[in-house]
Amino acid sequence: MVEEKENVANGEQVSKKGAKKLAKAAKKAEQKAENASAAAANNAGGDSAEDHAAGRYGLSEMIQSKDKRSERNFVPVSELSGQVGKGLVWVRGRVHTSRAKGKQCFLILRQQSSTVQCILAVGDVISKQMVKFAGNIPKESIIDIQAKPVAVSSKIESCTEQSLELSVEQIFVISQAKAQLPLQIEDASRPENAEDAEGLNIRVNQDTRLDNRVLDLRTPANQAIFRLEAGVCRLFRDILTEQGFTEIHTPKIISAASEGGANVFTVSYFKDSAYLAQSPQLYKQMAIAADFDKVYTVGAVFRAEDSNTHRHLTEFVGLDLEMAFKYHYHEVLHTIGNTFTSIFKGLRDNYAKEIESVSQQYKVDAFKFLEPPLILQFADGVAMLREAGVETGDEEDLSTPNEKLLGRLVKAKYDTDFYILDKFPLAIRPFYTMPDPNNPVYSNSYDMFMRGEEIMSGAQRIHDPEYLIERAKHHGIDTSKIAAYIESFRYGCPPHAGGGIGMERVVMLYLGLDNIRKTSMFPRDPKRLTP
Amino acid sequence: MYELKTLLPQFDIKLPTCMYHLKNVSLAADSLASGSSTSASTSASTSSCKLEANRIDRTGRNAATCALDLDSLGRQIQRLLKDDTASVAARQEKVLKQLEDLKAQLGQIRAGLGVCGKTFQHTTAFQNGGLKEVPLQDVVINGHPNFIPYALLALKNAWRDLYTIDVKTFTHSTMADIGPAAREFEANLAKVPVNPALPKISVTLIWKNCEHTEMISSPTMYVPIYGEVNIIRYLGRVGPAQYRYEGSPLCNEIDLVLDICYQLLRCNTHKTQVAMVRLLDKRLQKQQYFGGAQMSVADIGVYSSLIRMPAVTEKDLTPALVAWRKRAKLVVQI
Repeated sequence: MVEEKENVANGEQVSKKGAKKLAKAAKKAEQKAENASAAAANNAGGDSAEDHAAGRYGLSEMIQSKDKRSERNFVPVSELSGQVGKGLVWVRGRVHTSRAKGKQCFLILRQQSSTVQCILAVGDVISKQMVKFAGNIPKESIIDIQAKPVAVSSKIESCTEQSLELSVEQIFVISQAKAQLPLQIEDASRPENAEDAEGLNIRVNQDTRLDNRVLDLRTPANQAIFRLEAGVCRLFRDILTEQGFTEIHTPKIISAASEGGANVFTVSYFKDSAYLAQSPQLYKQMAIAADFDKVYTVGAVFRAEDSNTHRHLTEFVGLDLEMAFKYHYHEVLHTIGNTFTSIFKGLRDNYAKEIESVSQQYKVDAFKFLEPPLILQFADGVAMLREAGVETGDEEDLSTPNEKLLGRLVKAKYDTDFYILDKFPLAIRPFYTMPDPNNPVYSNSYDMFMRGEEIMSGAQRIHDPEYLIERAKHHGIDTSKIAAYIESFRYGCPPHAGGGIGMERVVMLYLGLDNIRKTSMFPRDPKRLTP
Repeated sequence: MYELKTLLPQFDIKLPTCMYHLKNVSLAADSLASGSSTSASTSASTSSCKLEANRIDRTGRNAATCALDLDSLGRQIQRLLKDDTASVAARQEKVLKQLEDLKAQLGQIRAGLGVCGKTFQHTTAFQNGGLKEVPLQDVVINGHPNFIPYALLALKNAWRDLYTIDVKTFTHSTMADIGPAAREFEANLAKVPVNPALPKISVTLIWKNCEHTEMISSPTMYVPIYGEVNIIRYLGRVGPAQYRYEGSPLCNEIDLVLDICYQLLRCNTHKTQVAMVRLLDKRLQKQQYFGGAQMSVADIGVYSSLIRMPAVTEKDLTPALVAWRKRAKLVVQI
């Protein structure tokens, strides 16, 4: 029935109300169509009109060494301040952050430890599409930009280059990064600020960092740490070479464990098995017996200790040295002590920038030392501990808390983080340590400490084969197992002494970091074998 | 004041005749009376002597008048002592011989055990009233190379025959280069000969970028002593007896001079320095050294302070001070 009515209404004239409604609807539709077309026109106009920047941005094809492009001069970000007002430069770096807002895009470009702000604004050179493209480049992608460095009136606090910014004219993506990153570089480089309750507290877990080491190593602090580590090695080599030392390389696959069989890794060696070297001790001494007089070696050391502490790794880099002397092992002790002092001075004078970078993220107490290095007798150390109220025996080894306490006492008295303890008791040293001729309780051995933790254990070695056999028997060691070792002294060997340090531990203690994994690029410990 | 009347006037003891005399029950007195020597202690013998003397006195008095006849008494005591001197001497001899035997026995036991007979005491004689001197804990002095503590060298030279100050120098990492003056100072310190027989104190001198010269003795009780003058005071206390001034009557004088030195070191302008010098002159007067005829820590203080003030020239010093400086230089040798 209703249908009939409607049909009748539709078929015959439309009522007045109905006509009005229809007119309104029609008008609306018309407006909409107009707007749509106008917008389309605009868009079409925009797309087509501003493509004047088409060739100046985009994804670059994979660089397969097709063109040389040697006319492009690339400038490192750290040198940009000298290029202000001198025209266009090319810069390659990573996208740290990019933010597009309407007609502008702010992009922070990062190159190792330096960051600089880049700006793209819609204008004659830059199109809207280009700004949109720049805003959408994923973080950590590698880009090439051609830009003009301009000075800014107010300092840009968030970048290392604070007095200038780059006005971009061309931007190409060389290598695009995945959109979803496992960790954000910003979070990984945030300082641990316990007092600032207001600030963002997002930090990256150590395990996450170590699992994604490639990303974690890009933070400015880590860049600085490993450059400092390189500096330590370089200074070690330079200082010793200057004093007449020769660098040698000792084998890491050995047939018999030198110091106690418990802590070595076994490898299958064809039909037999062999061990990974625990320390280059034996070979250093053989080199001395082979008339090399002063040797040092930088190489891997493998310790199969199941210690999950903040200062143990299963594989680390050992800096070892051994030296023949004329009459007294103090000749060697002073050489080693002075080498350390020179390394510290070199770091203090030449790597101040790196130390500053590290201190942005981790709190770093400046490392203090004395020149010439402070040498205390073990008995004096025990006396200092006793005075502080700690009970320890005359021949008792220093436990870790006692070591730390002694470090603090020495720091309070002499204000030094590095000191040497000489004349350790014989009972706690290995069998090849030469005993003290004047006092049978003590031995010609020494330990060196940084910030209260031991970094080196060294001694005068026994170079007489008969005496060595006697001492080995005294320690209950089977001489047949070390026959090769003893044999090397039978053909005339000068008196010698030496010691070895762990490079990672030295860097960790120099900077005052809390975990050795921070100073090892790809650390190995009982629970970690990758990356 | 007024004189007190004697409370007890002299009076005689009139022995009553109704009492009877008791026989002496003391065995010593008996044996003494019998004349045989015993191993009684000398105190017992003297008391028995006294008893004997009293007895004789009484018997003597019984015979004599009331007044004490000192002469006769003296004579009687003399007689007693003469008789007994020989026995006393004999007893002493016996005791000494027994001591010798004991010593020999102890020596044998020691040799048997293999213990070294030497003690750790220094064998040189000190006028320290028999105090046992052991090496003092070493001290650490932190100084800036621009304010060299010349007092250390002055004391080392002044005490070269009495006491050894063993100084080891180090450069702290906060200091890049210590400068030629400090290096010369180190060389001069090393030149002083060391006598191993003398008692010594170990000093560690660290050139550091610090504000005040400070001294730290013990790391556990971290109480630093600031100021070179106070370090002189401390070393004076632990040094040889001739330089210990606290017990002497010149104590206040020496302290006063050292205080003036302290202020002198803190003077910035030439005018204030000259004013201090004038104060020093007033203290010196006509004496040979500050504080009397002998060299003391006050002289050390003034001398080393003046070296630190090259602006104070000979013109500013009075002739007395110039003469004093010449005298002091002989001892201090800087």
